[in-house]
Amino acid sequence: MLLRLPPSLHYPITITSLLKKPGDEVKRDEALFWYVYYSEVEEGDGVGNIIKVQRKFPTRFESPVDGEVQEWKISKGDVIDEPVDVVEIYEPCAHEVQFGGMCAECGKDMTEASYNTEIMDSFRAPIQMSHDNTTLTVSEKEATRVEEDAKRRLLASRRLSLVVDLDQTIIHATVDPTVGEWKEDKDNPNYEALRGVRQFRLIDDGPGMRGCWYYIKLRPGLEDFLQNVAELYELHIYTMGTRAYAQNIADIIDPTRKLFGDRILSRDESGSLTAKNLQRLFPVDTKMVVIIDDRGDVWRWNPNLIKVSPYDFFVGIGDINSSFLPKKQDIGATAVKPAKPETKEHANGSAEKTTDVSALEQLVTMGGGDNPRLLQEQTNAQEETILHQVEDRPLLQKQKELDAEDDASAESTPNIDESQPRHHLLEDHDRELFQLQERLEQVHLQFFDEYDKKRSSALGGRVAALRGEKTPLKDKDVDLKLVPDVKDIMPRIKAQILGGVVMVFSGVLPLGSDTQNADISLWAKTFGIVISSRINSRTTHLVAGRNRTAKVREATRYPNVKIVTTQWLLDCLTSWKRLDEEPYLLPVHPDDRELAESSWLSSSDEATGSFWTDDEGNPESELFKDTGLDETSHIGYDEDEQAAIHDELKEFLGSDDESESDSEAWGDEGSVGKKRKRGDGDGATDDESGEDEDDSDQQGSKLSQRIKRSYKRSTGLREVASVAPTDSDESRMTLQADEEEQDIDKADTTQDQDDAHPDYDEDDLEREMLAAFEDDDDGEDVVDESL
Amino acid sequence: MFFLKEEAKVITLHPSYFGPNMREYLITRLNEEEEGRCTGDHFVICVMDMVDIGEGRVIPSSGHAEYTIKYRAIIWKPFRGETVDAIVTSVKPTGIFTLAGPLSVFIARKNIPSDIKWEPNTILGVKPDVAAINAIGTIKEDYLGPL
Repeated sequence: MLLRLPPSLHYPITITSLLKKPGDEVKRDEALFWYVYYSEVEEGDGVGNIIKVQRKFPTRFESPVDGEVQEWKISKGDVIDEPVDVVEIYEPCAHEVQFGGMCAECGKDMTEASYNTEIMDSFRAPIQMSHDNTTLTVSEKEATRVEEDAKRRLLASRRLSLVVDLDQTIIHATVDPTVGEWKEDKDNPNYEALRGVRQFRLIDDGPGMRGCWYYIKLRPGLEDFLQNVAELYELHIYTMGTRAYAQNIADIIDPTRKLFGDRILSRDESGSLTAKNLQRLFPVDTKMVVIIDDRGDVWRWNPNLIKVSPYDFFVGIGDINSSFLPKKQDIGATAVKPAKPETKEHANGSAEKTTDVSALEQLVTMGGGDNPRLLQEQTNAQEETILHQVEDRPLLQKQKELDAEDDASAESTPNIDESQPRHHLLEDHDRELFQLQERLEQVHLQFFDEYDKKRSSALGGRVAALRGEKTPLKDKDVDLKLVPDVKDIMPRIKAQILGGVVMVFSGVLPLGSDTQNADISLWAKTFGIVISSRINSRTTHLVAGRNRTAKVREATRYPNVKIVTTQWLLDCLTSWKRLDEEPYLLPVHPDDRELAESSWLSSSDEATGSFWTDDEGNPESELFKDTGLDETSHIGYDEDEQAAIHDELKEFLGSDDESESDSEAWGDEGSVGKKRKRGDGDGATDDESGEDEDDSDQQGSKLSQRIKRSYKRSTGLREVASVAPTDSDESRMTLQADEEEQDIDKADTTQDQDDAHPDYDEDDLEREMLAAFEDDDDGEDVVDESL
Repeated sequence: MFFLKEEAKVITLHPSYFGPNMREYLITRLNEEEEGRCTGDHFVICVMDMVDIGEGRVIPSSGHAEYTIKYRAIIWKPFRGETVDAIVTSVKPTGIFTLAGPLSVFIARKNIPSDIKWEPNTILGVKPDVAAINAIGTIKEDYLGPL
């Protein structure tokens, strides 16, 4: 260990003598060297006065560690002004593995502290490495070593690591006792569906009750899935359930312990009740790790994550272990299932639970994990969830509702030995695991393809690779430097599927929510999809949650924009395929088409892109359409709205997020602020510079970004607000050059990835038109012509 | 190491237990509460017998009775250097976890001879915790190793 002087010494110090030679043993708190320092002190001079005198203080420096002196970095007579390295001390034990506050190798107490302790020994091993034990910690060095061993082992057997979530990913659990009764009752309509349901009893779990039965439904195909995937991946369980729960599930899905072994991490050892952290299992690097989970937010949309669609067998139950987590955003949960009688109930049930929680709030909730009071509340909430399920029997209620519906239609009394088969609540159509297996195989294949390529080029050189010579791949010496990163591979595969898609949501997210950070948006973004808030000629898809919104109307103007249902997006995201849009196309109401055509002028990007105009029948947008007024006219903003806009503006300027799409989202509502600016007679229109201005806020200096951002407040007409052509100092010029480059890049990539992409020029043309329109009252003519 | 130790414990009894079976009840309570307990210094393995139950004292204002029971118990206090039998519970890349009765013992990889499986071990360090005692062991000495 290289010993460094603490900053607390009275510098400058002068070394007067070294007490140990290299090779000498040194004990903790034993003197290493003498030094002197000078300080001014107050002394009496013998006649009653107090005077300040410079005094010399000889002091010993004591070793904070045990060991053997290896090499001095200082010598006698040195004057030292600041903390420097002084001596190399070899320690017989570096305490790299610690167990319960003790060094696991020498048994020394690591929590001991003395006057001489600068850093506690326990800080030397800060990393928790084992799944099931929190008292064992290791140092970074040891962790790296262990992980490298693991990687070598995995590479030799050509496997990756897979972190598996339990609840709603591979199983679905409930504590509703109704399930137990239905299981016993052969006449129950749900009897068939419940055949494969397993159960166990947790004694210590559950509030105030001695044991509570858990009913576990395995996702269809789970056994084969695990068997097959285990050949390609080393499996780990990471669940938000308790240890006992996880252990019991593991006993069910893996009775021989061959698949998971003891690689089980539960809530008790996770360290956080609100978020999952890959570093907890793989502290050094996560290059070879893939995660499957039904929740993206708990992983903060980690690039290693494959999000699966949640398994919802016991309808309306949800995830029994998710009380600690932020509320799940209900993305088209109603749409996930085909229209079946019970879907309605399901939708009702989940709609009640789902509140509009913004991503920010969620982050706050996640960060609140340390607050003990909050924790207690959440623990109570968890207990309540369990208790409610046991007492309220949501499944029974639903079946009753279903029966009641049946009765109403068949006009027969609810009787168990009824001749007509009753509708049953529970159905099992899930196919997710089969798709998931394909995806995992794909990732595995890509990973090892890349690895082999790198290896063969490293081993045999390029010539050998070209000649197609098979390099000995099976030999044991694997090179860890050549290991590709799953974090690169997965996004690449995903981007190949849906890259180039520019989509706009309409009627999918609640009004006023953040379109960029909603769960579905974040999920879509991992596939390289660009989410935009307004429809323009670059838009390729409009994802509409319902029909006849203003945006649907607007989208009909663009022949290249495909108006699809949310289901298309969800299916694409879960199947990792770019599905044909045809079956998912939203039937557009004929009125909307006509309306869109007649009111072309009024429905500028701005008018329809705004959140508050996104609602059909909004008087404001209607007004625009009727009068033919552009939104630039100062109508429809009362003082409250303006104040709100100002607040948003402030928040926006203070925010760090400078991505283009974000500012676009804000831009809609900030349009008033821009209009002020534009009022300063800045009518000079330069199409070229205006065009360059677009899409460029990630470039240039901080200042220009800020200026740019204020321009961004404009939407479709923002180029008008650009700097007059005369204002062309050097920085701006270079900036423009950058922007041009960027524009070209963008155009290239989008066109490469998407052949159906509209002509780029059209966009420019449109902007020119609009600019001219703003500048000139006769702009209407121009527009009409170009139409 | 095991010891026979005389200890005293105060048990408070609810008035509803006052009656002929009070003595049996006290014994059950004592066994339940003491056996298997970790004091932070030692484990109470087994309560042998009661030396003296003493006179019950009714606590004014609540009506509960308080008994000071003197009893003898077998305790186990693990010492450094003590050799114990332990059962392996899990094997990790960094070492193995074992249980020597109530004591969880971790044996680091360094303390395992390279040509090895497992078992009896010597305690290298003992550190009491509030609820449990953890220990570090080695099996890398003469006469230590798998059983």
